[in-house]
Order: sequence, then structure tokens, then C-alpha cells
Amino acid sequence: MRSWKAAILIMIAMPAWAETPDIAGIVDDHILPGYQALAARTAGLADAAQADCTPGNAHLNTAYHAAFDAWIMVSHLRFGPSEQDDRAFALAFWPDTRGATPKTLAALLRDQDPVVRSPEAFQTVSVAARGFYALELLLYDPQFQQNEAVGYRCTLITTLTQGIAASAAAILDDWEGGYADLMRGAGSNDTYRSPDEAVRQMFTALSSGLEFTAETRLGRPMGTFDKPRPNRAEARRSGRALHHVTLSLTATRDLAAALSGGDTDLDAAFGRAINRATALDDPVLATVATPEGRFRVEVLQQSITDIRQQVAEDLGPRLGIATGFNSLDGD
Amino acid sequence: MADRRSFLAGLLATGLCPTRGWADLGNPAYLAAARLPSGKYALFGLSNDGAPLFQIPLPNRGHASAAHPYHAVAVAFARRPGTFALVINCTSGTVIARLTAPGGHHFSGHGTFSADGGLLFTAENDFENARGMVGVWRTGDYARLTAFSSGGIGPHDLKLMPDGRRMVVANGGIETHPDTGRTKLNLPTMRPNLTYLSLDGVVADQIEPPVEWHKNSIRHLAVHGDGRVAIACQWQGDLSDVPPLLATHDGGAALAFRASGHGYERRMQGYAGSIAVSRNSRIAVTGPRGGLALIFDRSGQFQDTITEQDICGVAPAADDLAFTTGLGRVLFPIATTWVTREHDLQWDNHLIAIAG
Repeated sequence: MRSWKAAILIMIAMPAWAETPDIAGIVDDHILPGYQALAARTAGLADAAQADCTPGNAHLNTAYHAAFDAWIMVSHLRFGPSEQDDRAFALAFWPDTRGATPKTLAALLRDQDPVVRSPEAFQTVSVAARGFYALELLLYDPQFQQNEAVGYRCTLITTLTQGIAASAAAILDDWEGGYADLMRGAGSNDTYRSPDEAVRQMFTALSSGLEFTAETRLGRPMGTFDKPRPNRAEARRSGRALHHVTLSLTATRDLAAALSGGDTDLDAAFGRAINRATALDDPVLATVATPEGRFRVEVLQQSITDIRQQVAEDLGPRLGIATGFNSLDGD
Repeated sequence: MADRRSFLAGLLATGLCPTRGWADLGNPAYLAAARLPSGKYALFGLSNDGAPLFQIPLPNRGHASAAHPYHAVAVAFARRPGTFALVINCTSGTVIARLTAPGGHHFSGHGTFSADGGLLFTAENDFENARGMVGVWRTGDYARLTAFSSGGIGPHDLKLMPDGRRMVVANGGIETHPDTGRTKLNLPTMRPNLTYLSLDGVVADQIEPPVEWHKNSIRHLAVHGDGRVAIACQWQGDLSDVPPLLATHDGGAALAFRASGHGYERRMQGYAGSIAVSRNSRIAVTGPRGGLALIFDRSGQFQDTITEQDICGVAPAADDLAFTTGLGRVLFPIATTWVTREHDLQWDNHLIAIAG
């Protein structure tokens, strides 16, 4: 076996020390409240559907929007309990590039599949037909309003909302029942062997959350200049596409502030992006179909790219997260 | 089908090219792309001991390259999702041909020549249809001849098998679309596979990882002289699951996953950047995110690690293995040690051995 011999000519400059953010504070003030809100509001959504499953009823609509808001506020926290048993995917199967959600829902309705009669059995249905995006189709897409099988659809909506509530409750249970302590106690357990590993996980959540908002939430409807795709806007049937951009920027701004120790430049960059989103006044990003509209959305996307750049080039190194030529390339 | 087959077979016989061989360039052992201090990019030919023998400018960041088996010709692929690849005469430094991916296709960044150098195969993403493809090019004039299915979604690496009659493709399983950059569009449903194809696109064999590891994207490949295949994976699930990042396939029904048994995969953060097999069948998997490479013996038993920041490129050396890093280092074996040569460059993901 070849032994390692370091023929080092030049020492590589390393940061003398890296900042360590308040991990417990982020868990207690950012992550747990987010999942608590999600659990509470999805339970409210299941109750509302149980009380009246008729699409279009105001109580159900309000509960739907409140619960979906809560999900978007934690949708960047894709690690640990949310990834167990594909819970996050079961809450949010989007983008749906193959149209699996409408296809699977249509098949359930057509076959009157009895699998919807119990929440347990419903867990075996494809993640594409569970969660918020499937519920949105059932509540807002005209294709699913014409169905004759009103009773079956009602059961489907009720069971689906129970499934959403169950996934949210399971994520919260895992966080409160141990995972939060693993992060707080990073360095003394095998999941997070050092505080740096916990910080890196949070940093990854921040940067991939921003990437998803810029490239997918905005990028998918933008398509190309020659071929914009307004019909690909996220949750457009219930008018939520731009709202999701604002919500996710608000949530990641909070995380960025905690990770950066209140970096005012970074916070200002978030402020600019959120102002641009608000100024768009285009709830479903329909204007991407026109050159002027597309340009305005592009400016918004660019303002998120600016944040991402600050995060990668300033915040990352400050936290001691290597920004290597290959380690960041991801290919 | 028979017509196309005989057509391709006929082409294999016409490896006519006026280019000179690698010997005229001082027998470079490797090709590697790099970023220069100026921010520009170039393709380098490197000697056995990591010294530059030639340097050719590239218009953009490269990924992998392919070396013609006889002529001093290299194909430099753009970084994914790229639409071009440059065929470079390494003797003169001139671009012989610029390969452009057909409309609706992107290059993945990897490709390989046929054994006689008559054909070039490129891994491609037919992104509107989320279908992996292999493009076939004639090396005489670098005309595109045809394309066929890669047998899965998101093919990344592809290698020629030692018999010269089949290729093996790493269908990573991940759907991407240029509208959304490198965003992964289908993680909950992704199904990577390893596919063996004849040179005219007939699937000979196809193997998937077990269901619980369907998020372990099959990404980069290295082939032993006896046809066994070593596979480097990239985990797309939660990082608290720590699956092995090396799999091997010996022609049987299943992939064998090989863990280091020392938890090194944790440090690699679910991400293997490149893989190579040495002539004595040692397997190296690099982990730039963890700053380490893992070395396994021919049976997949873990042997050793190398710790080196941003280590990624790896290729078989005359004796054992050689590595490159994003900090400009080339590590090459001499006697019983690794020796480091430093360059004021950032070596890109892959180090490609030149045959012969």
C-alpha cells in the first residue's frame, strides 16, 4: 500500500477561524415554529375538509391557503424529518414535469379506487396524488369539478387533507422528539458530529431554497424568451405562484439573518428582491408570456441570483464552508 | 436495422484521418481541463508526472474530455448542460470540428471513442422528452450519424467496454431541463440504471439499484480490463442516510454496493465526483466535498484514503492512480509514495488517461 507523503510546496491559506452561528437559536426560532405552524394549520385544513368538502367553500379555501402558506415557509428545510419516508414529497410533489398528479387523480376518480377510504391505505398512493398540489387540482381545476362522482371526490379530498396533516404531524413529532436535540447538540452525536456539520446543513437549506425559488418557481414559467411557459407557474390555479416566491424569500431571509449574524447587506438584498416581487403585481406570473412582463420577472430572478451570490461568496467562506472549484460544481 | 448496422460497421473500417499521433506531443499521459488565473479556460496535456506538455484555450468551463485512441485528437466537452464540444487537434492546437448538440438535446459532458477511433459517442439529454440519448458521430468529418436511446433518464458518463463492441452508460435517473438550469425535477420518482448497449444502440443489459437506494444517482463509470464496471454514485436523498458511493457490477443480476466501513462516505456528503480503475484493478472514488478520495482493491474491499482539498480528477497511471484537485495539484505515484506537483490552475472535475 502506498503511504501518503505530503510534498507540500505552498501552504493553502485557510480562514483563521470561522463564525459559528447560534444553532439552537435557529432550531428554536426558525425551524420549530415553522413546523408547529404547519402541523397546526394542516390539522385545521383536515378539520375544514371534514366539515365541508365542497370545493369553493370559503372555510375550506381559507384553510387551504393558510396551510399551504405554512408549507412554503418551511419548504427550504429539506433535511432530516421532512425527508424520512418521503414526507416532504408527499406534501409537495412539484414540479410535476410528467403530469403525474392529474393523471393519478383522474385514475383514482375514474376507478373509484377504494384506497381513499382510509388514510392508512392512502399512504400507498403515489406521492404525486397526495399533498398540496394534488389538493389544489381537486379544489381549483375545472377538470376536477365536472366529475359526477361528488361523493367519491369528497372522500378523496377529506382523506388527502388527513394525509397532509399526518405528514406534517410526523415531521413535527420527529423534530420535537429528538431531531432538534441532535442539531442543538451537534458535536455529541453521530448525525451531526460537529457544530460545523449542523451549520453546513442549514447553509445548504438556505442556498438550495434560494436556488429552487429562482430556478424553478420562476424559471419554469419563464421558460425561454421564445417559448415562455405561463401554464407551468406553481399553484397558479389557486393564484399562489408569486405569493410562493415572496413567502420563500421571507423564510430564507429569516434563516440568512440568523446564519449571518444579522448581515445588513445580505438583508438588504432580500429586501430588494421582496420589493420587486411585490411590485410585480402578477399573482400567477402570467405576464411572462409578454416580452415586457418576462423582463420584469427576469429582473426579479436576477435579484435572487444576487442574493445567492452573496450567500455563496461571502456567507459561505465566513462560516468556513469550502467553496471549491469542484466541490461546488456538483456534476 | 440491419442496414444501419452494416452502415456503421462499414464506417468503423474507414478511420481515415491525417492527424499525427500522441507520440509527437511527447506522449502525454492525461488530458485535463482547467481554469487559468486569468479566469479563462484551457485543455491541458499532462505527462506522467503531471507536467504540462501542451495547452489549448477553451471558450468556457470544460467538464470531461475524450482522447482519440491513436491520433492526437481530443474532444473537450462543455460543462453540463452544454450544447457544444470541440474536437481539437492537439498537435496544432486547432479546432478540427465543433460538435453542436441537435435541437432539444444537451451534452452531459462525457463521451467516448470507438476502439478503432472511427466513431465518437456522446451522452445527451433529450430534455423535452426527458429521455437519455447517445449521439453517434463519424470521426472522419465529425458528422452526426444517428442517435439512440441510452436506456434511461439523465445519462451522464459513458464508457466503451474492453471488447470494443458494447458501451456502458450511467443513466443517472435525474431529469433536468434548460429552463430550470441544473434543478433536479424528479427526485421522488427517479430511477437510475446502468445500461449496456451495443454500438448501434441495442440494449444488452440493464441494472437498477435496489428500490431503497433509488435516489443514489449512477453518475460516473470506470471499466476494468476484464469488463467489470465500477460506478461512482451521488446520493440525492437526506444526508443523514449515508449510502455507499461505490458500486461494482460484474455482469450479474445486481449491483454490489461497497462501503468503506469507516464512515468516510459521511465526509463525502453523499457526493462522489469521479472514479477510475488502475491497471492493477485498484478503484479510486474522489469526494471533492469531503476533500478525500477512497481507494478500494479489485474485490471492492476498502484500502486507503487520500486527503486533499477539492480532489476530483482521477485516472489510471502507468503504475496505480493519478489525481487532480481544484487547487491546482496533480498527485502522481512514484515508488511507494504520492508526489504532488502544483500548478497555478484549478483542475476541472475529470482527469482523462490517454490510451497507449
